[in-house]
Amino acid sequence: MALSVKHLLGIRELSLDDIHTIFQAADRFKEVLQQPIKKVPALRDTTIANIFFENSTRTRISFELAQKRLSADVVNFSASGSSVSKGETLIDTVHNILAMKVDMVVMRHSSSGAPWFLARHTDAAIINAGDGTNEHPTQALLDAFSMREKLGDLKGRRVAIIGDIMHSRVALSNIYCLGKLGAELMVCGPPTLIPKGIEEMGVRVEYDVRKALQWCEVANVLRIQLERQNKPLFSTLREYALYYGINRDMMQSLEQEVIIMHPGPINRGVELASDVADSSSSIILDQVQNGVAIRMAVVYLLSGTTQA
Amino acid sequence: MSPLLLRQVIVMDSQSEFHGLAADVLIADGRIQDIALDLSVSDENISVYQASDAATLHLSPGFVDLFADYREPGFEQKETIQSGLQAAARGGFTDVFLLPNTKPVTDGRSGVQYAIRQAKGQAVRLHPLGAVSQGIEGKYLAEMMDMRAMGAIAFSDGWKPIQSSGLMLKALEYVHAFSGIIIQLPIDQSLAVGGLMHESARSTHLGMPGIPTQAESLQVYRDIELLRYSNSKLHITGISAAASVALIRQAKAEGLQLTCSVTPYHLLLTDEALEHYDSAFKVNPPLRSEADRQALIAGLADGTIDCIATHHRPQDWDAKAKEFESAGEGMAIQEIALSLVLQALGDTVKLDRVLDAFSTSPRRIFGMSQVAISKGSPSACTLFSPDALQTFKRESAASLAFNNPFDGQRLPGIIHRIITPKSF
Repeated sequence: MALSVKHLLGIRELSLDDIHTIFQAADRFKEVLQQPIKKVPALRDTTIANIFFENSTRTRISFELAQKRLSADVVNFSASGSSVSKGETLIDTVHNILAMKVDMVVMRHSSSGAPWFLARHTDAAIINAGDGTNEHPTQALLDAFSMREKLGDLKGRRVAIIGDIMHSRVALSNIYCLGKLGAELMVCGPPTLIPKGIEEMGVRVEYDVRKALQWCEVANVLRIQLERQNKPLFSTLREYALYYGINRDMMQSLEQEVIIMHPGPINRGVELASDVADSSSSIILDQVQNGVAIRMAVVYLLSGTTQA
Repeated sequence: MSPLLLRQVIVMDSQSEFHGLAADVLIADGRIQDIALDLSVSDENISVYQASDAATLHLSPGFVDLFADYREPGFEQKETIQSGLQAAARGGFTDVFLLPNTKPVTDGRSGVQYAIRQAKGQAVRLHPLGAVSQGIEGKYLAEMMDMRAMGAIAFSDGWKPIQSSGLMLKALEYVHAFSGIIIQLPIDQSLAVGGLMHESARSTHLGMPGIPTQAESLQVYRDIELLRYSNSKLHITGISAAASVALIRQAKAEGLQLTCSVTPYHLLLTDEALEHYDSAFKVNPPLRSEADRQALIAGLADGTIDCIATHHRPQDWDAKAKEFESAGEGMAIQEIALSLVLQALGDTVKLDRVLDAFSTSPRRIFGMSQVAISKGSPSACTLFSPDALQTFKRESAASLAFNNPFDGQRLPGIIHRIITPKSF
C-alpha cells in the first residue's frame, strides 16, 4: 500500500486511488483510536518536525497527536519568537532542522506554493498543513472522510461550500478532493469572496445562502477571516452575519436535513449560530476526531515511501 | 586598433542599398569605411571575420535596450554597471537605457553623472533614465530639465509606475518643454496589490492571488487620455495584455505621440509556467494567457508594438530562493534577448521587423543618431546569426545575476559581437 506521490503538497496532485488508499488506512487507524491503547509502534524510527509559520492550534495538535500515536519522535517549531523573526529565510530554517536528522516535515506557511519550494530544495517528505490561499489537503481529506461516514459513496452527492472561497485553502482542497470523488459542488458567498473562473473547475456559484442550503445535502461552512478585513471585500461582519450567517430558523425552513460542517475555529454568531453549530445536524466534532485518523494515515503512508 | 573586415555578411538594414545582400564591410576608426559586394583589401593589419559553414553572418544596426536595471549604486551584489554592460554587449546591444531605481535613486544630476562616469570606456553606450518623481515616491516632480541637460535620455519611475493621475499629467506637460519622453510601466497598484500572477481560472486553480489585466489596461487608458490632453510624448513599456495592445493601436491611429515596447518573456511565456510555483517566472507585470501572448505577437508584427525592451532585472540567488510570495521579481535575460524573441516568434514575424524593434525603432523614438550599414556611417552594429542554435549556460554568462531561467536551454540565434568605436 503506497501513494503515487512522495509528498502531500496538495489534493491536486493525488489520484483517486491515493485518496481511497488514505481512507482505507484511516479506517484502520480510527479503529486503533477506539482501543484502550491508542498507539501503534509503526514509526518508532521516524522523526517528524511540525513547522508552523502561521498560528494554528487544532491542526498542529491534531498532527502531533497523530504522530505520537504512531510512535514517531516529534519536534514542534512555530515562527513567533524564533529565528524567523530575526530574518532567517525559510530555506535556512528548514535546512537547520533537517540537519538534525529529521525524516519528515509538516509545514504551514502563509505563502501559496511554499511546500512546493521546500520539496524542490530538500530531501525530506513534505506534508502541507496549509499554504496561503492554496491548499490544506489533510483538512479536505478529513472532511470527505467524515462525509463518507455519514453518506457512504460521495458520487453524485451535493456539497455546498459557503463563505470566503477566495482566501480559503480549505475550499480549494475540498473542491479538488470532492471533485475527484464525484460529488456535485457549489460555492456560495458574496461575489467579492468568489475567485475568478471557479466555474471552470466544474463548480456552481450561488450568491444566496438560502438557495445554496436548499440545494445541498452537506454544507461546509468556512470561517470568515476577520484578519483579512484590511481589504474591502465585504462591508461589515454584521451584514455578513445577517445575509450569510446560518441560523436555526433558516435550517428549519429547509425541506430536507442538511449536514453542517466547519473546519474551525468557528466565529459563533457570524457564519454559524450556536444553535446550528451545536445541533444534531452538525458533525463538526466528528471532523476533529477523524482529523487524527486521517493524519495518522497520511504520515504513515508517506513515511513508507521515504524509508523504501 | 586594427581595422576589421567582415566577409560576406548579410546586411540587415532597410536604409542600406545592400539590404538583404551578402557584402564585405570594412570598419575602422569607428566608422564603416567601405562596403561592397566584394572588397579587395590588401592590408596585413586587418583582422578578418568570416562566416563559417554552420552559421551565416548577419549585420544589423546595433540593438538598443530601453529598460534595463543594473542595480548600481545600492545593490551591486546583483549587478553592476560594468557587468551589466558586458551582458548587454553579449546580447548584441550597443546602447542601453539604465533604470533609475537604484539606491539612492537617480532623481538629480549627480545620479545621471555617476552612471555616465561608471560606464566610461565600455563598448556599450549607457543612457541613464532620470526619475519622474523625487525619490521615486510618486509625489513631486524630479529635476527633469537638469537631468536632461546632463544626459538623461528619457524619464521613468521604473518599477514603481506613477499612480497619481495628477502627477502623471504634470510630468507629461513638464517634459513637453524639451520634447522629453515619459516611459511608464502600466500598473494600477490598487488593482494589482497582493497579486502574484495573472488572474484567471489558472490562478484560482493554483490558489494564488491574481492580478487582473484591468490593472494594466486601465492604466494604459488613463495614460492615453492624459497624453492626448497634454499633447506630449509617452512610451509604455512591458505591456502584457491583449486589451492594452488594442488601446494602443487605436491611440496610434489617432496620431498621438505614443509608442510602446514588450519584453521577450511576455512574447515567449504564459501563466502556464507558474504551475509549480517556480519563482524564476515571477515577473511584473505577470505572464498572461495564451490569447494575450498571441495579441502581443500580432501587435509586434503590425508595428503597434514598436520595440523590444528586456526589462533586465538582476537578482542574486538569495532573492529568488524563497517561497513565491517573498521572492524577488524579474528575469535577467539581456544576454539572450534576441534568442528568446526568435524562439517566441518562429516564422510569425519577419526578421526585418524584429530587428527594427531591437534597433531602428528605439533610435528613432528617442532621437538617437540613426546608424546605417553604409559607407561613412558611424559603427554601432550587431553581428549575429539568427539561424544557428546555441545552448545558454548561466555559469559562463557575463551578468552577475542568478535569475536567468533559461540555463541549459538550446535557443536559436547567436550574437557574435557588437562593433562600436570602443569594442575593438
